[in-house]
Amino acid sequence: MPGVAFVAHCLLNQNSKCSGGARCPGVYAPLVAALRERGWQIQQMPCPELAFTGLNRFWAVREQLDTSAYRRHCRRLAKGVAGAIEVHVRAGEDVVLIGLEGSPSMGVHITSSDPERGGRPEWPDGADELSPGSGIFIDELSAELAERGVEMPRATGITHQLPDHHGPGELESIVAILEG
Amino acid sequence: MDAGDARGYRVALIADELVNPAARGIDGLAALESAGWGAIQLPSGDYPDEVAAPLLDLVAEQTEEFTRHGYTVAVIGRRAGLDEALAAYGVSGLPSIEPRSTAALTRFLAQTAGSDPERPL
Repeated sequence: MPGVAFVAHCLLNQNSKCSGGARCPGVYAPLVAALRERGWQIQQMPCPELAFTGLNRFWAVREQLDTSAYRRHCRRLAKGVAGAIEVHVRAGEDVVLIGLEGSPSMGVHITSSDPERGGRPEWPDGADELSPGSGIFIDELSAELAERGVEMPRATGITHQLPDHHGPGELESIVAILEG
Repeated sequence: MDAGDARGYRVALIADELVNPAARGIDGLAALESAGWGAIQLPSGDYPDEVAAPLLDLVAEQTEEFTRHGYTVAVIGRRAGLDEALAAYGVSGLPSIEPRSTAALTRFLAQTAGSDPERPL
């Protein structure tokens, strides 16, 4: 039975991306179509980076953002999202989470990592920063839900910013999550 | 802005019932997608106040970042508490509509968008 999909902010609002990251003017239509066709409701999560480092932020890896202050910020956002997730879970609705693979904040299975990155923002093209793991907001959301006694929803991530992005594969992943 | 960046510089704060429309309701998200706008979804009216209030605060916080950078921002639909949340971040007077039809919403988006979506920040 269809439920509620909590989606990363940028998947409905590409204006929140840092410069160079927007794949379309606003709404990432393939995700919305996949959810709508299967009867799922949509709930948008906030963008952790937008309100913390702003629209003019540089691309960043996880280590650059992983400070106590950023984690407190993410936890504040996570409390809001977890409260909404809890409403749906307590009502017996199915909930899934769709993040953004490769993101230092919203990655579900793939984040960005480079312990050496810092200083003047220049690095070789093709720098290998993608690595297994979740983003900082996803970590904090998982912790916040655990404190509330709410199970972390099934989760996957949109892959459109990964170099090996494959549209049909991305859709398969979404459908697999929706179908449990 | 990076030349390869496809953003539209237009953001709509949009009521939940227009993101998740009832059968035969207005599909606001589809209208935004067609017109090249991004969406900031407002908390569902079904959420209790203690759940909705922090979400409205987050919406307002993010909205301020867009208005401060000169993005076109508008409100589509109604959400109790939004005006107060925006005011707390110094945001007021956004163009708004409570659309009675998809056509009316589409016209509003076209009129509000302006003519230069590629302006620099």
